[in-house]
Amino acid sequence: MEKTMNKLIRIIGLAIVGLFSALLVANSVFANEVNVFSARHYDSDVQLYKKFTSKTGIKVNVVSGKDKALQKRIKEEGKDSKADIYITADAGRLGAFQAEGMFQKGASSAAIKKVVPANFRSPYWVGIAKRARIIYYNPKTVNPSWNMSYEDLADPKYKGRVVIRKSSNIYNQSLVASLIKNNGEKNTAAWAKGMVNNFARKPTGNDRAQILAVAAGEADWAVANTYYLALMLSGKKGAEQQAAAKKVMPFFPNQDGRGTHMNISGGGILKHAPNKANAVKLLEFLLTPEAQQHIVNNTFEYPMIPDVKANKLIAQFGLDFKQDLKTKVSNYGKLQAKALKVMNEAGW
Amino acid sequence: MPLLVAIPIFTVFLSFFDTTGNYLDLLTDTFLLKYLTNSFLILLGVLSLTFIFGVTSAYFVSFYKFPGVNFFKWALILSFAVPAYIYAYSLVAFFENYGTAFSILTFLFGEGDYNKNIPKFDGLIGSMFSISFSLFGYVYVLTRASFIFQSHNLIEVGKNLGLSSYESFFKIILPSARPAIVVGLSLVAMETLSDFGTVDFFSISTLTTAIYNAWISFDDLTTANQLSFVLLFFILLLFVLENLSRKGAKYHQNSKGNKPIPKIQLVGGKSIFATCFCSILFFCSFVFPVSQMTYWTIKFPKYFQDINFWSLNMNTLLLVFLSSLFLIIFSFMTNYGNRVSKNKLISYLSTFSVSGYALPGIILAVAFITFISWFSDFLSSIFGFNSFKNVFIGSVVGLVIAYFVRFFSLSYNGIKSGYSKINNSIDENAYLLGYSKLKTFSTIHLPYLRTNILLVGVLIALEIIKELPITLILRPFNFETFATKAYSYAAQDLLEAAAFPSLCLIIWASIFILFISKYILSEK
Repeated sequence: MEKTMNKLIRIIGLAIVGLFSALLVANSVFANEVNVFSARHYDSDVQLYKKFTSKTGIKVNVVSGKDKALQKRIKEEGKDSKADIYITADAGRLGAFQAEGMFQKGASSAAIKKVVPANFRSPYWVGIAKRARIIYYNPKTVNPSWNMSYEDLADPKYKGRVVIRKSSNIYNQSLVASLIKNNGEKNTAAWAKGMVNNFARKPTGNDRAQILAVAAGEADWAVANTYYLALMLSGKKGAEQQAAAKKVMPFFPNQDGRGTHMNISGGGILKHAPNKANAVKLLEFLLTPEAQQHIVNNTFEYPMIPDVKANKLIAQFGLDFKQDLKTKVSNYGKLQAKALKVMNEAGW
Repeated sequence: MPLLVAIPIFTVFLSFFDTTGNYLDLLTDTFLLKYLTNSFLILLGVLSLTFIFGVTSAYFVSFYKFPGVNFFKWALILSFAVPAYIYAYSLVAFFENYGTAFSILTFLFGEGDYNKNIPKFDGLIGSMFSISFSLFGYVYVLTRASFIFQSHNLIEVGKNLGLSSYESFFKIILPSARPAIVVGLSLVAMETLSDFGTVDFFSISTLTTAIYNAWISFDDLTTANQLSFVLLFFILLLFVLENLSRKGAKYHQNSKGNKPIPKIQLVGGKSIFATCFCSILFFCSFVFPVSQMTYWTIKFPKYFQDINFWSLNMNTLLLVFLSSLFLIIFSFMTNYGNRVSKNKLISYLSTFSVSGYALPGIILAVAFITFISWFSDFLSSIFGFNSFKNVFIGSVVGLVIAYFVRFFSLSYNGIKSGYSKINNSIDENAYLLGYSKLKTFSTIHLPYLRTNILLVGVLIALEIIKELPITLILRPFNFETFATKAYSYAAQDLLEAAAFPSLCLIIWASIFILFISKYILSEK
């Protein structure tokens, strides 16, 4: 009995050692690779990476997760980090991570500079796709004038008719950051109070839930990103949501002034990237017409390069609206904390 | 090795003694109060709900016969298989505008404007219900066990004194089951305070999310430290409460003269009430989320194709297998070491290990990364070692160690409860017969503790299958489990696609639960 037991223990021990070493080796077998840390969770991104691999032979390894937690892991791993590219869905976060010195120059290669507008790139990171944060309305109850703005949503005449998600949401923080940049902190604080007075309900749910609230008649106005409506219209969320989406109209605000608030999904090359050359190749690939077409058809974002057209579910709402290209997206990061403070003090 | 389990608390505190940041400016007094209030409200709500659900159902199935009682007895523990965050997905999807409830009403009654009539959940209420339905099982199982072993004589005496069943419940049954109920509730409380997935999904700010934000988003260690302190204070309080009632339990349990209590047949309204209560509880805690996930899986078959089913199974089971093995082996070593050497230090450290269980997984994971990074840099700078960060961060090894820290208390105490039943004189007799320590262990302890090993193994498996935040941060490249896959679909607002991995997760967990239900529900 004791012998069998000892033998068993020895076998188990060997098995563990074997397994662990196999796993360690497996981690370092692929030399021609690029490692991506992504706070974007799209499956379609992974399909895109597979296309890249079949074209170039470079294997793409991915870890996805919560934005700040990924950043923390990259920072703590320091120069031992295997991560080459960090991708996230907010310009403010890219800017903030750059400010911490976590990116190296090189994201905007010559090929990328040629196709991506200057507002959506820096030497440290580059936008991969665009999204607009816009107003949605119920055409049966209200009709916005052509020059309606984000600022107008705080007008007391809309009391109890506006929905938007919580202040903790990063898209809201970037939007309010752009308002602070353009109108100053004091005016934006007053605006935030007006918004809170107009809320139809306590902020709850994600962007899609705001659009649904307008469809259901809980509110007349909602603020949400563009791709959520297209996602519903695509039928990926079932027939009921598709029908609901048709009851709501998108509206591109601030056409009279600076234009509609734009944000980006983007990526940068990390300071200690072990595969920098491959990282540049991957970023360049993501900005080719082929890859951009794949992105816009799956995530319903706007393309970053001029030659590619947005998916028809998005394009039908018009593509010639005025985008806010004046407010540099890199400002979002600097002002997000202030934006959160302004919203919180208003009881948002 | 037990030192390992002290890492989280150690790091959380040590790393907090330097910089200050700007988060506290944001976190004005009202703010902090709001977080505290949210945490407190959720805790209060969850404790009340789990108490009502757990104790009532345990009372019915332990003392009475009514239609379906034998089914409910084990069916109610299936609620363990549904993690609170998956429950939250179902809740939101069902009640949202144009959600599943709307579809059902449309299907039944034709087109109509039903959204106004569908109740809407506030995130706070939603979190309370999600967490309660997924955790009431703790209260149910422990209370039921205590009811079953309750001294029959005491209840008889009550009857002879002319107490009604209502009076004997409040005067005899409930008070004598109090220690078990408190233990159950304190487990619920710890899990509630450390919840991240559910409150994050509902974007409710609690102490845990505040610590996460202070530490990770704002790098404001002073604030994080202060908040952690509040959280730890809560937890310590619970821990003391739990320990006190565990001690109390020893006095209440009378192992001799315990014959199984004859169950009373309920009739009429009472029987219908008992059946309804248990049915609704079973429906809400298990059937509802499972149906929602099944409905989606069938309605959106396209999302099947996107999933690498085989590798998800393999990854999940690999983590379960390695972690259980590792945890059980070390729990044995510390328990046996404790028994042989009676070393106070080991005993203190083992007690301290509960910190891993009580700390939110997400905080523990970040503490783990910070600690490894610091330790590796430290050894490199002093002894010129090569960095070993990559061995532990972003590897299966690291995941297993982090799980170890988190679940050691569970495993250690599970084995310990078995050991406490083996009388020390048995060991002494074995030594007198010339058995070595190893032989005593392998021929006497191991066979005797078989059931405990099985139980502990399955409990660990359940926790790891459901575990999300640690796995998410620490996993290697291209490594998905059912939990991370479900999370990632939920994050891209495709709960429909999250349904299939969620369902697989629930099925695996249910299989494990059914596997040990015999032992959990034993009436001997």
